[in-house]
Amino acid sequence: MIRPPAPSRWLPPVVTLVVVLAAWSAVSASGIVQPAYLAPSPLEVWDAFLRANTNHAVGGGVDRVVRGEEGYYLWEHLVVSLQRIGGGLALAIVVAVPLGLAMGTVGWFERVVGPYVDFLRSLPPLAYLGFLVAWFGIGDTSKVALLFLAAFPPIALATLNGVRGIREDRLNAVRSLGASRRQTITTVVLPATLPDILSGLRVAVGFAWTTVVAAELVNGLPGIGGLAYLSGTQNKLALSVACIIVIGLTAIVLDLIIRTLEKKLVPWRGKA
Amino acid sequence: MSERHDLAVTVAGLEQEFRARDGVVRALDGIDLTIEPGELVTLAGPSGCGKTTLLRILAGFVEPTRGTVEVGGRPVRGPGRERGVVFQQPTLYPWLDVRDNVALGPKVRGVAKAERYRTAERYLELVGLADVAGLRPYELSGGMQQRAQIARVLTNDPEIVLMDEPFGALDALTRERLQEELLTIWRETGKTILFITHGVDEAVFLGSRVLVMSPRPGRIVLDEPARFSTDGHQVPPADLRALPEFTALTTKVREAISHP
Repeated sequence: MIRPPAPSRWLPPVVTLVVVLAAWSAVSASGIVQPAYLAPSPLEVWDAFLRANTNHAVGGGVDRVVRGEEGYYLWEHLVVSLQRIGGGLALAIVVAVPLGLAMGTVGWFERVVGPYVDFLRSLPPLAYLGFLVAWFGIGDTSKVALLFLAAFPPIALATLNGVRGIREDRLNAVRSLGASRRQTITTVVLPATLPDILSGLRVAVGFAWTTVVAAELVNGLPGIGGLAYLSGTQNKLALSVACIIVIGLTAIVLDLIIRTLEKKLVPWRGKA
Repeated sequence: MSERHDLAVTVAGLEQEFRARDGVVRALDGIDLTIEPGELVTLAGPSGCGKTTLLRILAGFVEPTRGTVEVGGRPVRGPGRERGVVFQQPTLYPWLDVRDNVALGPKVRGVAKAERYRTAERYLELVGLADVAGLRPYELSGGMQQRAQIARVLTNDPEIVLMDEPFGALDALTRERLQEELLTIWRETGKTILFITHGVDEAVFLGSRVLVMSPRPGRIVLDEPARFSTDGHQVPPADLRALPEFTALTTKVREAISHP
């Protein structure tokens, strides 16, 4: 049954939004905050958002036209950041899922590797950013490596957890049908672990997104996090706020995509 | 269907011990047992007596502490295709629909899709699930899931079917229907079946041979031939259960369970 959500669900957040926007406008219009550029109004933020997505004159009597901000439209900054986490996540999935499966199915391997995956997970990724820059340079490679390292512990550990949670008779059943060890893994272990892998992925995406935005403080242009930081340091606070809002909305959309993926790929979740 | 139903199960000097917190627990104590091809052996006993342990050893899930288990003269070393297992809780896979669950055995053997679906279809029909083949297991009732599990095992065409209280969790009506269906299947396929139950009536009604196991450590304390399943199919089950012979064997089994 698809019904439009009841007003009791959507009304409260809408009210919050209206109140916040009103208060925000009031504060920036009142001039309490000085200098005034520290408190751009919602309209100025919207304006900065539009400017960042179009070609516009530099102004100040110069008739040069520039493209967006820092040579890229805002959405291009966003796409570059998304590509970075896409690369990092793809690598993380490719490495972490087999690693988690191996940890879950081969006892000694878990004992050898497990503590170090745990250690890696406990590290704030920015701690090893400097190290990665020294290794891979200041460009995209170090950022993708960083995101890979940030994203793979949650996926590997979720996979391991999933393998451990499989009911023994589920494995016995397929072995009794004549499945080899490899077939047991591909026909039962992997699909049975899929819900956990996706949960891990969801955690990893959230983590990677916060990490990429932070990582773009170092040579992050183009990149939405880099733009948010740079515009702040250049006192273009309206643009900075616009970037922050875009970053937040993107996080929500990413989470939504994964949850939709979960519903599509594991329709049995919670039912069996 | 396979031409070879000639694998006997031979168990000799079987003992099983488990390490528990307060020392070693003896689950099975000196089981000697031969199951002839084509028999439908029911094994009754109080819960916790080790009957499931015996089944899991035969299935190859557990290695016995002492003793030998041979199937067709070859020692059991792990699970094998010739020994199908019907679990107490259906172990159907929710990522596969009922048809793919049932056809899973031939699939892991590399049988082509069309052929394995044909075989699956036949057994789905036999257990009355042909019209729900496209559903996911969690969309079926408990009884239907158990039927699907039986169909999956039969589709794989094992020599021996090991059934661990498969109808234990079902309501009485469904259980009786499935009991009759099981007998039909047994007569049609001639499979060797070991059927574990805690129900005395079920053991007597189904078995061509009824075994009773003592409380832990489990030993076989009664081994009686029964014939209600073999020549009873012309008689309605209710009348069968009213026969004096039926009641006599039931009493005997009950006594063996309570005073081993």
